[in-house]
Amino acid sequence: MTSAMHRPQDGTLLELRDVRTHFSTARGIVRAVDGVSFTLERGKALGIVGESGSGKTILARSIMGLLPKRGTIRQGEVLYAGDDLAKLDLKGMRKFWGQEMSMIFQDPMTSLNPLMKIGNQIGEPLRVHLGMDKENARATALKLLQDVKIPEPEKRLDQYPHELSGGMRQRAMIAIALACGPTLLFADEPTTALDVTVQAQILDLIQEQRRDRNMSVILVTHDLGVVAGHTDEIAVMYAGTLAEKATTAELFANMKHPYTEALLRSIPKLDQPSHTRLMAIGGRPPDLITPPTGCRFAPRCPYATEKCRTEIPVLESISAEHSFACWNPVGSSHWQSKQDELASNAGLASAGGQA
Amino acid sequence: MRYFAQRFLQLIVVFLIVTFVTMVAIQAASKDPARDLAGPLNSTEARVEEIRKHYHLDRAYPIRYAYWLKNLVTLDLGNSPTLGASVRTLVGQRAPITLLLGLYSIGLALILSLPIAVYAAYRRDGPFDRFVSGATFAAVSLPNIILAVLLGYFFATKWRIFPYAASKIWPWDDFGEHVRNVALPTITLAVGLIAIFVRLLRADLVNTLQSDFIVMARAKGLSPARILWRHALRSSLFSLMTSVALQFGGILGGAVVAEQIFALPGMGLLLFQAVQQKDLLVVQACAALFALAVVIINFIVDMLYAVVDPRIRHARALG
Repeated sequence: MTSAMHRPQDGTLLELRDVRTHFSTARGIVRAVDGVSFTLERGKALGIVGESGSGKTILARSIMGLLPKRGTIRQGEVLYAGDDLAKLDLKGMRKFWGQEMSMIFQDPMTSLNPLMKIGNQIGEPLRVHLGMDKENARATALKLLQDVKIPEPEKRLDQYPHELSGGMRQRAMIAIALACGPTLLFADEPTTALDVTVQAQILDLIQEQRRDRNMSVILVTHDLGVVAGHTDEIAVMYAGTLAEKATTAELFANMKHPYTEALLRSIPKLDQPSHTRLMAIGGRPPDLITPPTGCRFAPRCPYATEKCRTEIPVLESISAEHSFACWNPVGSSHWQSKQDELASNAGLASAGGQA
Repeated sequence: MRYFAQRFLQLIVVFLIVTFVTMVAIQAASKDPARDLAGPLNSTEARVEEIRKHYHLDRAYPIRYAYWLKNLVTLDLGNSPTLGASVRTLVGQRAPITLLLGLYSIGLALILSLPIAVYAAYRRDGPFDRFVSGATFAAVSLPNIILAVLLGYFFATKWRIFPYAASKIWPWDDFGEHVRNVALPTITLAVGLIAIFVRLLRADLVNTLQSDFIVMARAKGLSPARILWRHALRSSLFSLMTSVALQFGGILGGAVVAEQIFALPGMGLLLFQAVQQKDLLVVQACAALFALAVVIINFIVDMLYAVVDPRIRHARALG
């Protein structure tokens, strides 16, 4: 019944049309996701990047339909292989969960059931969805643990999450997510809770499995460095909307949105002298109950003009692989003059300091 | 294993302390324990002195206690002057029905409170949850003596569904009659327990249902029933288990009331009579048995924690 039959081997797998997710709270309506549209091809990896509170996690969970029913207002279309997931109720969604799409969560310590053996946690979707018997599920779970390259996989089947290291736990969670061969894999900050040394391994593993299984991956992260080597496309999110979307190579070569630029500047670089002060983005993400009237980034944007504060910029394409929503993008004449001004101010300040 | 031994030792120490304190309290409250033990009717001075010697009542409490313990081990706990039988026979006849009553009421309470709490937590703040919240609140504020009287009036006197004066019929003799006779006392004790169990379990479940691993279980596409019963319930059992252990002593106390009202000849009734007639040895034996039952239940629950949670098991194996 589900799209197992008609899901495409290539071409568009997922299309979002003006997706909005609002929460009604005591303080008012929180516009956590406010009009996001994009498409994702089969087998491709999309990074959704933004700081905390940008709505990236809510967007991922909106696509998957994993939000609490109470207080959630959803609009727009989520077309998955032609089915509009936004129209499905919980029962309809459940047929997709674990089979068509699955999710890797941020903290494997709290996301794995502490009272259940790893083998049973991996075997559970196999038995529930694929009707495997106990031995079969166990054998498949072992195979999956080998796929995710966990050391001593046989031993892990009968261990509990607290007996595993953080990296192994995350591998186990990936094994669970992969169990029923999903077409779309969400990874929500999959490496944030891990040691730096294992972060790259986990990201590489997700990449490798994506290629092997022809999956599409949506990688949610606050870290541009994480998406750089592990995605085909990047969507930069700010305050519930898309600020910029481009192929990964294009974005890093030719970023247009001042927010993307600011995000990149806030990452430490190896070629900088140590103790170089990182550029933090001034101010705080806007209140999503009463977002700014114009561009949502305007209050924090060094290049903002009057137009930015009153008119909402729309997401416009400059090429097939690049679109952004900004009135004064990086490289524009206004941006250039502002840059010069900032540079001369900085020069004056340092000169003043020396005098 | 070490944990097991530790808890077992603790069990014994608690039992000794409780029985010693009980003995001192009971005997200190009597003007002359030997005279009480000699019987209510005019006993001769010689008889009283004989009793005093026999039960070592002229010695200090620790020595008396040591003799009592020795008697306990040999199950020779003396005679009841008022009931004209040995303490062992009396307690042996009466104790099983009370222990059964305790187990039935806990069993009934668990069987009913699990699904009620699970459904209330699943549909949190829904009409069922609100009803349960109100009903359990009413139930905990209802003294069981009033509940017993109400149950007796409706189910026994008015509708005659259950016998009012219960008799002691063993389940292996006539199961149906046994159930009919213990039903009202069991319900009397179970109502308060259900209320407590439901409230504790629902609160823990509501917490568990907000954890990350429940979101993960949903993302795996599991059915709500599976998520609730297989994933959420097990993580939410700790308060409930603790409460079962703690409530057990209270249940035995409640049994005194329930047996009194429904005239069920259990240990509660025996204890009540013994206290009234200053039958010190019977009181001591009953108290010792109550203490033993409570201590054993607590021990079992301590072991169950480790069964339910592998983290406790492993921490203990290391420690």
